[in-house]
Amino acid sequence: MSLDFKRIVIATLSLMFLGSLLFVQWMEVSRRRAETGEAGAHIAIPDSSRQCVDCHMQNTMGLVEHWKDSTHAESGVGCVECHQAEKGDADGFEHYGAHIAVIVTPNDCARCHPAEAQEFMASHHAKGGNILASLDNFLAEVVEGSRAPFDPHAPTPGLAPGQGLVGGKVNGMASAISGCQQCHGGKVAFVSTDGGHVDVDDLKPGADGKPTSQEALARIQRDPTGKPLLHPATWPNSGIGRLNLDGSRGSCSACHSRHDFSPRRARQPENCGKCHLGPDHPQKEVYEESKHGVAYRDLIHDMNLDSDEWVLGKDYSAAPTCATCHMSANTRNGMKITHDPGTRISWTNRPPVSLVLDTDVHGEVVKATDPAERAKLIEDTAQAKRNRMRQVCSHCHNDSYVNAFYAQYDEFVVNYNEKFARPGQALMKLLLDKQLLTPAQFDEEIEWSWYYLWHHEGRRARHGASMMAPDYAHWHGMFEVAERFYMAVIPQARELAEHAIANGKEAQGKAVMEFIDELLARPEHRWFEQQKKH
Amino acid sequence: MRTPETPSEGPATRRSLLSRLCGWSMGGALVAAYGSAAAVAGRYLFPARPAGKRWIYVAQVASLQRGHALPWRTPSGERVSIARVGDGQSTDDFIALSSTCPHLGCQVRYESQHARFFCPCHNGVFSPEGKAVSGPPAEAGQDLVRYALRVDGPLLYIGLSERQIASAGQEA
Amino acid sequence: MSTLARWLGERVPLGRFDIKELTNEPVPEHLKRWWWCLGGTPAYLFIVQIATGILLAFYYEPSAARAYESVRFVTEEAAYGWFLRGIHKWGATLMIAAVILHQMRVYFTGGYRRPRELNWMVGMCLLVCTLTIGFTGYSLVYEQLSYWGATVGANIAASVPVVGPWMKTLLLGGEEYGAQTLPRFFMLHAAVLPALMICLLVVHIALIRLHGVTDLRFRGDESKPPKPFLFYPDHFYTELMIGLGLTVLLAALATILPATMGPKADPLSTPEVIKPEWFFYVAFRWLKLFSGTAAVLSIGFVLFVMFVWPFIDAAIRKYTRFAEASVWIGIAGALSIIGLTVWEAAVAH
Repeated sequence: MSLDFKRIVIATLSLMFLGSLLFVQWMEVSRRRAETGEAGAHIAIPDSSRQCVDCHMQNTMGLVEHWKDSTHAESGVGCVECHQAEKGDADGFEHYGAHIAVIVTPNDCARCHPAEAQEFMASHHAKGGNILASLDNFLAEVVEGSRAPFDPHAPTPGLAPGQGLVGGKVNGMASAISGCQQCHGGKVAFVSTDGGHVDVDDLKPGADGKPTSQEALARIQRDPTGKPLLHPATWPNSGIGRLNLDGSRGSCSACHSRHDFSPRRARQPENCGKCHLGPDHPQKEVYEESKHGVAYRDLIHDMNLDSDEWVLGKDYSAAPTCATCHMSANTRNGMKITHDPGTRISWTNRPPVSLVLDTDVHGEVVKATDPAERAKLIEDTAQAKRNRMRQVCSHCHNDSYVNAFYAQYDEFVVNYNEKFARPGQALMKLLLDKQLLTPAQFDEEIEWSWYYLWHHEGRRARHGASMMAPDYAHWHGMFEVAERFYMAVIPQARELAEHAIANGKEAQGKAVMEFIDELLARPEHRWFEQQKKH
Repeated sequence: MRTPETPSEGPATRRSLLSRLCGWSMGGALVAAYGSAAAVAGRYLFPARPAGKRWIYVAQVASLQRGHALPWRTPSGERVSIARVGDGQSTDDFIALSSTCPHLGCQVRYESQHARFFCPCHNGVFSPEGKAVSGPPAEAGQDLVRYALRVDGPLLYIGLSERQIASAGQEA
Repeated sequence: MSTLARWLGERVPLGRFDIKELTNEPVPEHLKRWWWCLGGTPAYLFIVQIATGILLAFYYEPSAARAYESVRFVTEEAAYGWFLRGIHKWGATLMIAAVILHQMRVYFTGGYRRPRELNWMVGMCLLVCTLTIGFTGYSLVYEQLSYWGATVGANIAASVPVVGPWMKTLLLGGEEYGAQTLPRFFMLHAAVLPALMICLLVVHIALIRLHGVTDLRFRGDESKPPKPFLFYPDHFYTELMIGLGLTVLLAALATILPATMGPKADPLSTPEVIKPEWFFYVAFRWLKLFSGTAAVLSIGFVLFVMFVWPFIDAAIRKYTRFAEASVWIGIAGALSIIGLTVWEAAVAH
């Protein structure tokens, strides 16, 4: 062996030694990471929940596995911490030595997350249950089903006697239960001893959530172990505006799926897409068509969705999701998350005619027209809300760009409002006032047409414009609004008027005809009949 | 035998170039390798970071009343007694002490009438702050182990090492 | 530069040529064969052990209450502690293996014969020191196995006639394993034995230098003139290569088979299976074969024979016809050591 050869061998061996040290370094780093919980952190099964985990691992392992992946599990928040009930709670029962409840309400979550719960309670989301008395609900409970149980026409071959029926009758509320209430939230109830409901209205809970009506408590049906039975018409339900037995409203798990309460999932558009999709408010599809959604789909790996904190401009900036714009923290708003998604929205496009979202102390939109009265009532202006949204926009767009976008959006909404919504609304009111329509909804064709126009097509158009989806703004939106207006609402109104004239309601019919003629004589509608008249 | 032969190498010019190169690479590699070994040794002497401590939820601050100890167990089963010692909402208003006597591992209990922790095995006595007062622990100067606590909003957290978090029989 | 060199030269009157003179001991050609470089390996590993040992001692606490916890701290919490402990543990194993290999080479090539008998005896002292330092080091961890290994070791020492009980008390610092034991083991392991070994090593190497390395001639080489080469850089590089190779091996072992934590020592429960470190398997098996004092005395006798072997060998060569007897005795000894070790390793009791 020559000396130089030895030198080379020594150099090679040294490099191997160096390499092994680098490997050691890598091992040390990964060991540290594992220890500090950055990778595959140990979960902490709290002693109080050990029994729950052992048993539920056997029979509902998926639920436990989900929990094991949660931040709760890392921080030692187990089963009992959320499910524990206090003595006197209507839904509490003994379960293997623990006093628990099945349904975890925002009141329970508020024990540890008070600020989040408060924001949520103030949001429009929490009021989703109000639909139970609305027009939409009439559709599901009467038009699609029946408020009173009714007799089946014939037995269904293959179904066991009584299967699919309640007390031998068809449950006409089924559509509302599986449809409306799963998004909007239902009114949770126990089965009463006579088979009926015991809900929050019967229990009359006090401020602490404990029922004040002993009579109602006594009526709750319980199984032999003392567990109260929840009414299958009202549970399962994770609707966002659920009316809970303790008087609280809402369900945190609507967005923060149980039992892993994954922030990652709540950050993704699919989460909102449980409800915000479809013909009447396709926000998810609108988003997916927009440049925002396209960027998100492409850059999802740069979204840092697993990060503990998720601040726009700090933790990610690849693309916005629903949460980014409407809820999440960003570097320009003091890194503040809100659980009230309405605080950055400046128009409400929910009603037939869009309203500027100036809200009062209760978070309700101010409908007054007199400026002085408005000023008195308004607690949070639409402008303030828009400025909050601008803070988000400004992470990627400069002021002039954002201002120009809002100009386009405002002008689009106003065009819809003034050309179709306001006249349509006035026409429908006139028809009703002149008694050319029955007070009942959806029993006349024009009511369906008008409903399509504003509730489906009109909202699609406005949402398309609000979130930069041109196809929804135009083809799925304004194009169909226009067709519905000119080809359905107007002819159907005229038909109603002609029918009235022919049937002894001449004055009423003529008033409607005049309204329509005046309307169509306006410059924006003149094109429609100009050439037919001459 | 005492006349060693000089190692015969090539012509002076070639030798100086080639073997200098070899020499440099050898020297460089040696310095790099043993240098990083020294760096490893140096890093070893700075363990400063209390490794792997995590904050684990204990209870809501409001649920703890002054003068009452909350019996609590770590996920690994060690008993800890957590008590409120002040009326405020800060970390200093709470104390968490191991319930395991440092002498032989018996479980101590709090005697509120005497305001002391007492170990029944060998009559070890500790102050409410966990300081050994009398008995074998005091002789050996062994106080009750004190855990770190943290108040975060309405919640009380305890600082535990990964070892105390890993529950018995739990897969890694 | 030259100013500095002059300043230093004045205070340390050692010129470049003196250094060359000191380091460039001519080395006989046969040392170019790898087999003859084994003596350097234990020395290199000894340095590794001193370096890692000092680092481990930064955190080690030699008391029954804290020993296990402090070793756990090093292994699980201190940065790179697991690696350094792994190196130290595997370094010990390799060092004992290297010592044995070196001794076998010396033995089978007759390197212990006149005039080098004393150096063999110094080497034997080093062997005993190495084994003792391995034993005390293992006990410091205060695991179940190391605790019971130490207890058994002390009881073996106690069975030596006359001085046995006294040795046991000296080792344990009392009648039984107690509060005094670990500090004692620690002092032996980290101060007394290393210091003793350094002294012995100095003597060992000095004697080699004074005698010069035997110039071995292999068959067919007898007529050639001796071709010694320089210690530096040639032989030094060879040793460096071996050292680096060992280091890489150590690093690999320490990462692939890291030193772990067994259950903590519990003086109240004897484990099912008690095993010492592998290098004591021979003695352990022997003790099981011939229980009590006889076994201890026979081990002592074997050690004594090994110690004075150069003189026994000289006598055999002088007074009998069996000049090659040492080779056969060596083979027999090596085989029985290997056999006993494998036997002990293979069975539980």
